[in-house]
Amino acid sequence: MTHAGHSLRIERLKFAYGDATILDGIDLSVHEGEFLALLGPSGSGKSTLLRLIAGLEAPTAGLVSAGGRPVAGPGTDRAVVFQHYALFPWMTVVDNVAEAVAKAHPTLSRGERRERAQAQLARVGLGEVGRHHPFELSGGMQQRAAIARALALESPFLLMDEPFGALDPINRARLQDLLVEVWRGSSPRRTVVFVTHDVDEALLLADRVAVMGANPGRVIAEYPVAFDRPRQRAALFKDAGFHHLREEIADALDADTLAHLEAA
Amino acid sequence: MSAEQKALELPSTVRGDTGGGARRRLFADFAWEPWALAAALLVAWQITGNALAGEGNPLLPPPAVVLRALWDSLPELGRGTVSSFLILVPGYGFALVLGVALGLLAGTTPRLARAFFPFAKVAAPIPPTVFIPYAIAVLPTFHLSATFVVFLGAFWPIFQNAASGALSVEGRHRDNARVLGFSHFEYLRKVVFPASLPHIFSGMAVGLGFSFILLTVAELFGANAGLGRFVQYYADFADYPRMVAGILYTGAVTWAAMSLLDKLRHRALFWLR
Repeated sequence: MTHAGHSLRIERLKFAYGDATILDGIDLSVHEGEFLALLGPSGSGKSTLLRLIAGLEAPTAGLVSAGGRPVAGPGTDRAVVFQHYALFPWMTVVDNVAEAVAKAHPTLSRGERRERAQAQLARVGLGEVGRHHPFELSGGMQQRAAIARALALESPFLLMDEPFGALDPINRARLQDLLVEVWRGSSPRRTVVFVTHDVDEALLLADRVAVMGANPGRVIAEYPVAFDRPRQRAALFKDAGFHHLREEIADALDADTLAHLEAA
Repeated sequence: MSAEQKALELPSTVRGDTGGGARRRLFADFAWEPWALAAALLVAWQITGNALAGEGNPLLPPPAVVLRALWDSLPELGRGTVSSFLILVPGYGFALVLGVALGLLAGTTPRLARAFFPFAKVAAPIPPTVFIPYAIAVLPTFHLSATFVVFLGAFWPIFQNAASGALSVEGRHRDNARVLGFSHFEYLRKVVFPASLPHIFSGMAVGLGFSFILLTVAELFGANAGLGRFVQYYADFADYPRMVAGILYTGAVTWAAMSLLDKLRHRALFWLR
């Protein structure tokens, strides 16, 4: 897994659905190994932006390039985790992960793929449930498996679309910690784009937060998040700098909403 | 983590119910209604049969007589079943393979969809029974004509259901297949086919029903063996006990085939429960 030059560039990006402009004038870059949070209210097009980076949608105008190459469609250099743990329900959990292993290592035998998939599951704390089917797992466990599958692609980019949005607070916290641990633990680090509408989650996880406004969706502000890692929730939530940044972001979001209300 | 694992194991321990409770529930669940209806019908049959019984050949032979005829005809009915299945299995099997393959392809390839769907709209509603005289006249053997007609009857429902299954694959499965870099063939085999199985099984059930109808109708025309032929043959001799026995036997065979398909469906679609 070489991450050399694995940065993302988005230039003058526009995306429209018929007459409706969803995204307009997006300029954004994410450098190699960086953890970027895309933060915005619903309707700001943050998920659409992620789908454009993933290559699941094609831009109306502008350019997305990953690792120096323009994105022309989905590719196994960009792993994606969706909000709704989209494992294939007819495959066992280990077979779901083994599909990703097969793409990263096409020459491996079936048994070797399963073994690696099993090891990947163990890394996210699912060593015991590989032979089960997704419907036998809780939501949190399914999302762990989806993360294991994304990691098994061994791709330099990791794109996550509100991956913990459907989880209860305890599972959400566990998976946030797991994600940071896995991201920091791999060398070189993956370039992560993480979509969320939760300010605290963005500040806990990311190196930088890009705040998005609505109608049309665009980046209204960017904030570096410089808190030392590893970050502890309890310490962070007492930190004055954390609260200051949180206020600033909330103000930026409110200002955008107000501007729209006045215009309407 | 350990809490989650416990949560996972919980259902199996809950499911393992203890003896007394399970037995009581089994008794409460026992459905006596179908048996009551069957008994009522049997009594009505016996009474009507007795009332109609004149001298010699009864128009409605009473149950005991039919049962006797059924018992006596079992070897002949067995041979008839084999003969019928030699038509049914290849005709239905070929329809299944071709219907699923073409349906999934048409449902995932826009160009094939444009080619197939308007044609299917016109061709599918033609009652396949109208092909029987033509097939028998044109094709060299009866076996081939009957197989062709069975194929035709089963093909359209399977094709149409497979195609609509392929069209309704959930967006998230499609997205995941693309993100994982699946080739079109991998996508068909690992995603579209399993995702379409609920639809395919509906098509298979409709197709199997049609197959039995067409098989027996075709056998009324030109067969020298088979289930439909058995009924037709004894009708010609006005041997109503054997004829009714043949009808009941055909019903039982159809029911068995449908139940088998249902069991298969239940097994294959475990992930929907």
